[in-house]
Amino acid sequence: MKIAIFKFASCSGCQLELLNLEEELLEIAGKVEIAYFVEASRKLMKGPYDISLVEGSVSTPEQLEELHKIREESKYLIAIGSCATAGGIQALRNWAQLEEYKKIVYLNPEWIKTLEKSTPLSEHVKVDFEIRGCPINRKQLLWVLSQIIVGREPFLPTHSLCIQCKIKGYTCVLVTRGEPCLGPVVMAGCGALCPSFQRPCYACYGPSDLPQTIKLAQQFTEKGLSKKDISLLFKKCESWTPKFKEVVEKYE
Amino acid sequence: MKSIIMMGTENELRTLFDKFKGKATIIGPKIPNGEIAIRYCELNDYSEIPREVEDDQEPGKYKLMQGKFFRHGFDSPKKYMFPSTLKIIRVEKELEVKPYNYDPKETVFFAIKPCDAAAIKIMDKTFTWNKDAYYNAQRGKITIIVENCIKPGKTCFCATMGTGPRATENFDIAYTKINGKVLFEAGSIKGEKILMEIEVLKPASNEVIIEFIKVMDEAYEKAKAPFTTINLPEKLEINIANENLWKELSEKCLGCGNCTMVCPTCFCFDIYDESHLDEHVDRVRYWDSCFTYRYAEVARGHFRPEIWAMYRQWILHKFSYWKKQFNILGCVGCGRCITWCPAGIDLRENVKKASIGV
Repeated sequence: MKIAIFKFASCSGCQLELLNLEEELLEIAGKVEIAYFVEASRKLMKGPYDISLVEGSVSTPEQLEELHKIREESKYLIAIGSCATAGGIQALRNWAQLEEYKKIVYLNPEWIKTLEKSTPLSEHVKVDFEIRGCPINRKQLLWVLSQIIVGREPFLPTHSLCIQCKIKGYTCVLVTRGEPCLGPVVMAGCGALCPSFQRPCYACYGPSDLPQTIKLAQQFTEKGLSKKDISLLFKKCESWTPKFKEVVEKYE
Repeated sequence: MKSIIMMGTENELRTLFDKFKGKATIIGPKIPNGEIAIRYCELNDYSEIPREVEDDQEPGKYKLMQGKFFRHGFDSPKKYMFPSTLKIIRVEKELEVKPYNYDPKETVFFAIKPCDAAAIKIMDKTFTWNKDAYYNAQRGKITIIVENCIKPGKTCFCATMGTGPRATENFDIAYTKINGKVLFEAGSIKGEKILMEIEVLKPASNEVIIEFIKVMDEAYEKAKAPFTTINLPEKLEINIANENLWKELSEKCLGCGNCTMVCPTCFCFDIYDESHLDEHVDRVRYWDSCFTYRYAEVARGHFRPEIWAMYRQWILHKFSYWKKQFNILGCVGCGRCITWCPAGIDLRENVKKASIGV
């Protein structure tokens, strides 16, 4: 079994999680062939690949072209991280005028060749599985790989973060402190990392399978948050997912 | 069982606690370091039980403050009787199946409230019916020491559900703190034997019993919901097809599942087969909720995809189907689902509305 790891517009944090697996990574390397992993090895093998893990959003014409090539060469294409699954923090530019943005950021904006929007892989090709998060949870990555290696269809929970918080026994920051926690509409999977430090969830895992984002935004209004605060809460690395978009459009 | 109300002081309560020290795991209320809610935890000493603290509970709000009497936090004895995560079996690569050892310890629930003791009785029905080996292994090893609730909170409605504020069944010993005195009563032979060992306890005088009755009667009035349980299953089911009603009642529902997680009687679980790199699989049981999308997903479809239908199922299960299946209502009136609902949905109001129609 050949695994390849690719990167588009992203910070490499998700690949780093793969490297952070350390001992387990060696175990994975013993089970499968790591055929393409620029960040870890100079030995780069050509496709086809059995599993391709793709980090990053599609942001440039070259990336779009490469994505199609990866799709053709991969039996199993897995999008990893919020850039690849939702467009990432850089999808904030989707809410602005591209040309104006370029002028603000770059000295010579005419040198920049980019797509109009930063988008998730699934907008362009068929994605077989998604692992959410910014960054991904390496335990989830390990679980998904283990499932594929033994020949199972990968599976991850898709319910709300609240359920994970309660299973782990973390006290609700929304109810006890009135913190604007997005947990009720966010997919579990991180292990309730922020609430475990009594901090509200800021939704790097994106929407759950039943996300009542507009209703949660109304709750925040009742708690006294301004429209701007609410739109900013939903306008982070998951702003381009349809259910979050709804809130941003309504409250911005 | 019939029992005499005995009188003592807090010293005897400590004596009672100490009787279990070293012999059993004692679970009771505590505010662990850095916590902002009362939690059920393992206690090593009586002094760990919070003092001079009160939990201010409202729909969607929970705050600890200075005070004289506290109720509970979001967790209940359920997490010990029915753990949120439980490894069941391990399947080796060669398909050899090995059950994980589950050997629950002798456990004392100390200073739990009457609603939580009643919840164990309800769980007994469901977990006995489905012959849950794990629950029943723990069930045979518990002692229940209840503190009667002299000051129910703003989200409490145990009086309506018939489970409190004074415990009437499913406990070994119940105690009540009244104006510097502590009254004890036994609820089982086991409890009676333990109380008899505490020689300082004397039968309460009529004056004290009158004081006790007065305090409990006042508490009873504070723990009422705006509905009664009389004919409740029928009153609710008559509205089962009124889609607009259920949509209205669930208008604020976020579908997050918090209510089911904090409910001391909700018993749903899901089982995952977790693959590992060495190709063994752990079969693990996790709490599940009827408010997750996948809950009602079946091959080729979904029989309850809308939130209003999930909400209706939850209410009807608690207040009607449970009664039909187990001859007991599935709600104890602890109010956790009201307090810990991020949208502050008041179950009491909704059951009232649903039982008379809108």
